[in-house]
Amino acid sequence: MNKVQCIVVGAGPAGSACAYSLARKGIETVLVERGRVPGEKNIASFVLIPAVLKHLIPDYRDSAPLERTVTEFPVLQLGRNDFFKVQGRFYGWQEKPLVFTAFRSRFDAWFAGKAEEAGAHLAAGMTVTGLIIDGGKVIGIRVGEEELYADVVVGADGAHSLLAEKAGLVSPLDTRQTHLAVKEVLDLPAGAIEERFQLGSGEGCCIHGMGCYPVDDIGGFYTMYTNKDSIGLAAMGTVSLLAEKGAKMQERLAMLKDHPYIRALIKGSTTREYQAHLLSYGGRVEMKNVYSHGFLLCGEAGGFVDSFKIGVPTGMLTGMMAAETIELAVKKKDFSAKTLKRYRDYLRSTPLPDIVSKTKKYNAYYVKKGIGRIPGYSRTVAKVFEEIPKDRFDYISKERYSFVNLVYEGIIIDFIPRYVRWASYPFAKAITLMIVIMKKIKTGRSVYEWKKPD
Amino acid sequence: MSGKSPIDEKLATVVYHIDKEPHIIVKKELCAGCEKKPCLICPAECYQRGEEEALTFNHEGCLECGTCRLVCPRGAVDWSYPKKGSGVSYRFG
Repeated sequence: MNKVQCIVVGAGPAGSACAYSLARKGIETVLVERGRVPGEKNIASFVLIPAVLKHLIPDYRDSAPLERTVTEFPVLQLGRNDFFKVQGRFYGWQEKPLVFTAFRSRFDAWFAGKAEEAGAHLAAGMTVTGLIIDGGKVIGIRVGEEELYADVVVGADGAHSLLAEKAGLVSPLDTRQTHLAVKEVLDLPAGAIEERFQLGSGEGCCIHGMGCYPVDDIGGFYTMYTNKDSIGLAAMGTVSLLAEKGAKMQERLAMLKDHPYIRALIKGSTTREYQAHLLSYGGRVEMKNVYSHGFLLCGEAGGFVDSFKIGVPTGMLTGMMAAETIELAVKKKDFSAKTLKRYRDYLRSTPLPDIVSKTKKYNAYYVKKGIGRIPGYSRTVAKVFEEIPKDRFDYISKERYSFVNLVYEGIIIDFIPRYVRWASYPFAKAITLMIVIMKKIKTGRSVYEWKKPD
Repeated sequence: MSGKSPIDEKLATVVYHIDKEPHIIVKKELCAGCEKKPCLICPAECYQRGEEEALTFNHEGCLECGTCRLVCPRGAVDWSYPKKGSGVSYRFG
């Protein structure tokens, strides 16, 4: 019988972080990936935040396939023939990088390679078709006809986790809680990118916008970011609204490309690749269900994506914690849910469950109020913001920056009329990112930092 | 006219390792009475309205996003991930 200590399914950021940590602890680990090469099934919708990576691999900058260091974060609200933009720029970022752009296809392959170097066995091109469950306990996986047994199986197979469904831990994805993203990578020479986005060499720009043309009626958003010699342009829409309206994301992306402002930025470019992927809001897994007998869920499979749909650092963090839990289980030689429950305790020692539950809360609110579906959209969003704004900034940490309150309450509530307050979401988003960075620069600590509880 | 539809031009930029065995099986008998056909929102336009409103499906352009499985109101989409490393292969994902 083929048996190993641990099987990790999915070589994305969460799976590889888990396998890497396990291998370094000397635990025999097989990392199973359905792509021929890790990352070939993944797309980056946003940027790469190395908050957790830098703890795992401190010298990641020497070898990781990173594209540009993001120094600029404009928030862009488009109208059909106009736009307005809020722009943030940090000049110290080349020295103290916080965010990078990267191709997931290359980054994930590199990261899984690190796990391999550490001693994990990578089995690529293997699609897990089922879990072997014996008496309510997960004891292995099936890949077609083949079977592989393990003490513990980690499901890190992404937003559309079939493993979590097979283990009976989740309900099917809710279309109201899921975004469909389509993206085009557009070729553009580095010089043209730097000139058009006013960037220095190696500097990057990441634009985002939400709830405006051309995705306002489908509860959508879009991002645009610069790689070395290409631009990623992505548009997302809520799946339930797309289905209801019969709207096609590829048409919305074409509308976005045709907007005068975007058109000028991407002029002369050709499409290098077209991509599509699902994004979840973390709405399908209850925190009590992220573990079971012999089974743990990490990354997006466990719903660990934060309210800004940033999934890479949260995924890596959950992967690391799963590895800590498994180390404990190996020591105890007990892989029952009772021991693996420790995973939830580890998670609870960080702001992560809080972030996830808030993400769900906001989203449930949006869904309930039918944002994007009814006339008077902006007024409804303004109402939502009146009720939930203060919680939103818990994202940063429990000890709030008084600066945030000042900005939000002092400026947005007092000075901005109600009907334009909806636009404060992207503004708040940009401010939040800035705060995260400022907090990091000031205190040297990041939001994702985690200390093992005693 | 180049004769290529916009989606064909887009999909021409994507590399696939095509498996002859489809990873998605559409139970078309269940689709017969479905008027809305939300699966038509497929970002690769694998689902098309054919003659007499019947649904046609081709798995070869599939980008493996899983949208069709989520939106199908009748559970007609039997969806799994492609086997043995086949399917879409993003170079710049």
